[in-house]
Amino acid sequence: MAKILAVDDSASMRGMVAFTLRSAGYEVAEAENGQLALDTASSSRFDLVLADVNMPVMDGISMVRELRTRAEYKGVPILMLTTESNTDKKMEGKAAGATGWLVKPFDPEQLLATVKRVLG
Amino acid sequence: MSSVNIAQFHKVFFEESLEGLDAMESALLALDEGGDAELVHSIFRAAHSIKGGSATFGFPDMAALTHEAESLLDQVRDGRRAIDKGIIELMLRTVDCLRGMFDRAQGGQPLANADSDGLKLELAAAAGNAIPAAAAKAAAKPAASGGWSIEFRPHAGMLAGGNDPLRLLRELAALGQLVVEARLDRVPTLDALDPTECHLAWHLELTGAVTREAIAAVFEWVEDECDLSIEPIVAAAPPPAPAVEAVAAPAGAGAAAGTPRAAAASSNDAGSVRVGIDKIDGLIDLVGELVITQAMLDQFREDFDPSRLAMLQQGLAQLARHTRSLQESVMGIRMLPIGSVFNRFPRLVRDLSQKLGKQVKLDLVGEHTELDKTVLEKIGDPLVHLVRNAIDHGLETPDKRRAAGKGDVGTLRLEAFHRGGSIVVEIVDDGAGLNRDAIINKALQKGLIKSGEGISDEEVGELIFQPGFSTAAVTTDLSGRGVGMDVVRRNVSDLGGTVSIKSRPGNGTTFTITLPLTLAIIDGLRSAVGDECYIVPLVSIVESVQLPPDAVRSVTGGGELFRFRGEYLPIVRLHQQFGCANARQKIEDGLVIVVESDGSQVGLFVDELIGQQQAVVKSLEANYRRVEGISGATILADGSVALIIDVAGLIRLQSRRKAA
Amino acid sequence: MGSKSKGGASKGEVRVGMPADFRIAEVTDVHRQLGEALDASQILLDGGAVDRIDTAALQMLVVFQREAQKRGNTVNWAGASAPLHDAASQLGLAQILALPAKQPA
Repeated sequence: MAKILAVDDSASMRGMVAFTLRSAGYEVAEAENGQLALDTASSSRFDLVLADVNMPVMDGISMVRELRTRAEYKGVPILMLTTESNTDKKMEGKAAGATGWLVKPFDPEQLLATVKRVLG
Repeated sequence: MSSVNIAQFHKVFFEESLEGLDAMESALLALDEGGDAELVHSIFRAAHSIKGGSATFGFPDMAALTHEAESLLDQVRDGRRAIDKGIIELMLRTVDCLRGMFDRAQGGQPLANADSDGLKLELAAAAGNAIPAAAAKAAAKPAASGGWSIEFRPHAGMLAGGNDPLRLLRELAALGQLVVEARLDRVPTLDALDPTECHLAWHLELTGAVTREAIAAVFEWVEDECDLSIEPIVAAAPPPAPAVEAVAAPAGAGAAAGTPRAAAASSNDAGSVRVGIDKIDGLIDLVGELVITQAMLDQFREDFDPSRLAMLQQGLAQLARHTRSLQESVMGIRMLPIGSVFNRFPRLVRDLSQKLGKQVKLDLVGEHTELDKTVLEKIGDPLVHLVRNAIDHGLETPDKRRAAGKGDVGTLRLEAFHRGGSIVVEIVDDGAGLNRDAIINKALQKGLIKSGEGISDEEVGELIFQPGFSTAAVTTDLSGRGVGMDVVRRNVSDLGGTVSIKSRPGNGTTFTITLPLTLAIIDGLRSAVGDECYIVPLVSIVESVQLPPDAVRSVTGGGELFRFRGEYLPIVRLHQQFGCANARQKIEDGLVIVVESDGSQVGLFVDELIGQQQAVVKSLEANYRRVEGISGATILADGSVALIIDVAGLIRLQSRRKAA
Repeated sequence: MGSKSKGGASKGEVRVGMPADFRIAEVTDVHRQLGEALDASQILLDGGAVDRIDTAALQMLVVFQREAQKRGNTVNWAGASAPLHDAASQLGLAQILALPAKQPA
């Protein structure tokens, strides 16, 4: 089953995402900021990265930019978890190399539908 | 389909959000003193997380309020607006309002009220937003009956960005019948090809009952990464019949209308503790050591040769050491830094001093000092009271301070530190100190003392802890809360701690709270009463004495008194109090343990003392029910149960009996 | 890394194997092999082991086929997995790639 990296500084949001995906059979690793996500992404390769935008230490956009410079993350889907109000952030994330986004709030069903969509 | 119950994440969400609000508040206060941009970012992040979480976890009212706060903060963050006192004030009120909402959410009550609605409008006005009426959804466009012709030319970088045209075309194919024609006009030679760049393009024809919106949704993420045109295929003749009514696929738009969910009240209030990984690792190490020791001892089971006695003893000593370390480490898990309680004071001090026209500098020292979680949760209120008291009564206004030859700004220091097996929290102000005369007058007036002659400073300090005592010369709205220092002392003593006061006239006052490290284990004296065993907490014991029969006086109403250090103390016969069979009846056959709490003493009559021991406290309420005079139970080495005496409770019982 | 054996290459024939994960991050190796293969008169492509494939890989195969045709090389398929077939058809590239008949699953 596909391996997914969930990056969010909010434990509840990360917990919800990880729990939902694990329940659906995915293998999930968690990271609470962009820096830790980069470390985790070095030690193991993921098929999908879900990342919050606003995080301390390193935000999601800087994380995507860095991840896309790595050959092994070319073409790997990276989705930003953003809020409705953050339309600029969507585009900023895209410019940094994100594949797309998932708009908060989302419920477990929406999350799974989107993940299935990108993982095929 | 997996169904995930989202309510299971509420507790974590509440916890992290309340922490976020604390962080937001301290950042706002720091900003008030002239902080930097990073503070604004951290405030924004906190608001943003709460907004995202509240919307996700089914609290739309909270999401709506934080949305307004966030847009105002966003303007500050990107420099469209300068931060000013007004915004800080508004944000601080938002913090308070959200705390209220979390309170109500935990109680399963509706979140919004008049205050929060008003605040939402204020925030929106400050951000220059009109609260939009629910935007009318654009009517779903009918599907083109002739189908759609799509030109799709990805930019070179699309593949590396994770949007594979293969996926997009599969999604389109799922909507209707898709005819695909690849365009190879821009394909380079193999040599010149960067295989990670896209040079292909497609002409697509999609037929079926498909709306333009559904197609646009497929391309939503790549609008900026491709040239795209979506045109209806015009049927030659006859003109298209009125289209079948189709409902727009709510791909991205569905998120706008957050479905309100009933906030399921969580009855499980057992609380949780976040534990650092290092603590867990330490525990695992210790368990590893225990396993090794156990294996070592195990070899003696099969064949024990007396010549190996030394090894056995060594093994047992190791076992004892590891058990003790393990106990300490496990207790450590319940320990949390007092900083989480201290954090609320910058705000409180700021608000109070502004209200009273005083200037106060707050020093927090020893925030990392750790306390038992239960103690920590209960120490907040007494500390708040003492801090209010210090600002209200202790510290002077700037002109009074100047007149006394002091600087305008008063200092209030909260300091926590370890002393022996206790935690000490000091609240120190450099104000005027206790007003000895005012206190004595008030005490006389209240009938607490008969005369002010020969009263020591310590005794004056003790007076303010008497029930019903209030020192305020002017009743302010701060002190008129019906909570006196007696309640502070009661709360602290319920935690097994003590409060004392030291005044330096003209130079300030120091309150010292001494608390036990943990409530989970106490040092006690095991005493036999008939067939039962009771544990008396060591901290409360003054002395134990054997009394001759004539030392006891009966008083009217059935009580007994004995003389101890020049005072008459009541005797509580535990066998009578708790109904124990086969207990000794004659005073000379047993022992009297003199115990103290809240400055009152009584003698507990028991059969005999068995010895001192540590007792792991088990809740009696959780396993049986609450019993007056008993604070809990413990299990003894032989597996039997002993009850732990609640000294403060027994003394209260005794004084009630006396009053009756 | 899948089967990228060049074994069985006689004078004029070169065999290029494709890995199971034949996607954008893994295309460099095959890109090099394909470039070298253009020097041979007969080229055998083996996509029998391909499990996952994307547009980047298929585009590369398309570019290779076009160039081989232009140069007059003979290109044959030793194998083409179902995922390879499906992806090529979905992108409208099956014909250009001259894929062999679909293998039964």
